[in-house]
Amino acid sequence: MQATVTAQHSAVSAEDDRALAAVFSAYTVSATCWLLFATAVGLLLAFKFGAPDFWAAKYLTFGRLRPIHTNDTFYGWASIGLVGLAYYVAARSSGTKLYSIKLAWIGLALFNLAAVAGTIALELGYNWGDLEYREWPWPIRLVFLAALLVTGWNLIGTVARRTTEDIYLSNWYTVCGVLWTCVIAIVATLPWYQHGLGQVAISGFYMHNAVGMWFTPLALGVFYYAIPKILSRPIYSYALGVFAFWTNLLFYPLLGGHHFLFSPLPWWLQTTAIVFSVAMLVPVWGGSANYLLTMRGRYRDMTHSYPLMFIFVAVIGYLFGSTQGTVEAFRSMQAIWHLTNFTVGHSHLTMYGFVTFAVWGGIYALLPLATHKSPGRLGIALHFWMALVGSFIYVIALSIGGTIQGLDWLHQRPFIQSVTDMAPYWVWRGAGGLLMFLSHIVFAWNVWRMTSGQTGNAGSPILARTEGAAA
Amino acid sequence: MHHAFLGPFWGNVAIIAIAGAITIGCFVAMFWMIFRPGEKDPHHAKYEILRKDR
Repeated sequence: MQATVTAQHSAVSAEDDRALAAVFSAYTVSATCWLLFATAVGLLLAFKFGAPDFWAAKYLTFGRLRPIHTNDTFYGWASIGLVGLAYYVAARSSGTKLYSIKLAWIGLALFNLAAVAGTIALELGYNWGDLEYREWPWPIRLVFLAALLVTGWNLIGTVARRTTEDIYLSNWYTVCGVLWTCVIAIVATLPWYQHGLGQVAISGFYMHNAVGMWFTPLALGVFYYAIPKILSRPIYSYALGVFAFWTNLLFYPLLGGHHFLFSPLPWWLQTTAIVFSVAMLVPVWGGSANYLLTMRGRYRDMTHSYPLMFIFVAVIGYLFGSTQGTVEAFRSMQAIWHLTNFTVGHSHLTMYGFVTFAVWGGIYALLPLATHKSPGRLGIALHFWMALVGSFIYVIALSIGGTIQGLDWLHQRPFIQSVTDMAPYWVWRGAGGLLMFLSHIVFAWNVWRMTSGQTGNAGSPILARTEGAAA
Repeated sequence: MHHAFLGPFWGNVAIIAIAGAITIGCFVAMFWMIFRPGEKDPHHAKYEILRKDR
């Protein structure tokens, strides 16, 4: 039925495939530029902990650069990279062409306009009231919202023209991720209830949902397409994927309050946030088990499939990062870790170990299929190992250091004692960050080879088919 | 652990009981699906994606 209805819209030509590849490439290149910029700023910030007077001129102060690092990582790198992947997955899994190539380009322009304008505003000192991850002045956030609306319209239009009977699971995650984020962005922008404790509640709602209802569903949606493609094997349990989708929607929006435990927010709101932080183990463990069981018996393939290794690390990052988030939500744990560098380690375990590795895995798995160009074997290996080792050093250093920092505060030692105790861990943070940044330069080189440059010698991301493939 | 905004005892019990029951139910459903993945029909979307993708 669906196939009949959409047949006249969905005839796909080589021209359509080239246009889709151009869109996917442009989003990837744009995201990569933001990754390089945002993490260069992050690296500078990391070393400012050890040498706070270094480059301390007005435009290079920590207060201006920190939100530039976080916002450009969120809205430049991860958002644009994931939307490019979502477009490719939507068109391919629906067996159709992209609803509108023009809308995709308009969306890309809007995402970049928002990120450039936001960066300039923050650099000039126009910070919208220290509200984490929404420091851009509100008119700029409306530009980002417009980019989301354009993206949502285009993805829905593409899925509506599908030639398949079902909407494939990946598209549930990616389309709804965009729609949920539109709602979240509107709630976070409207001013009427954002004063006093209302502002605190909305801040908790936005800062966590920007991760859990935007980056998470898009990355998980990419997994549900890329893992079966790489392994030529279906996902272990489709029903479990659908169940994880609905439980993520049920539990995630209610847990942002765990960022404000012991605050004047109502105690019941904090308790509810803690309970649903535990409930989030359902979609996290269920989803992770689904991916890992899909890979069962094929782990040796990782030795000659870096796209699979990137995705495997991302799945482990999702599993451990999210489980760590649940543990952090308990009042007894927050009493130690709240406001310490442990939280920074956690956010990097999730946004880097999970989301960023997922974007890389998706790009390495799918971009060569779109452009018919590959990265070099050495380049992809260098990228993987430098990013993995760098992020390990970073997260472990801040986790240990942040715990010591929190215990210092808990035992009411002089504040300067906690600064002194953290000093060596900040050095390790910078060392890990340097490796991570170097890996991004290599990634940029790999992206160049997969899009415009000379193709490399890495093999096809699709592995040979084994048992359990399409019946 | 005491807090000035703790609220009524039975209110807290109700929130924890309802949210806890939903959570436990979802855990049971999750493990059920892990041990019984289902979807044997060869025309299911999870198999179609490997064939129909261009």
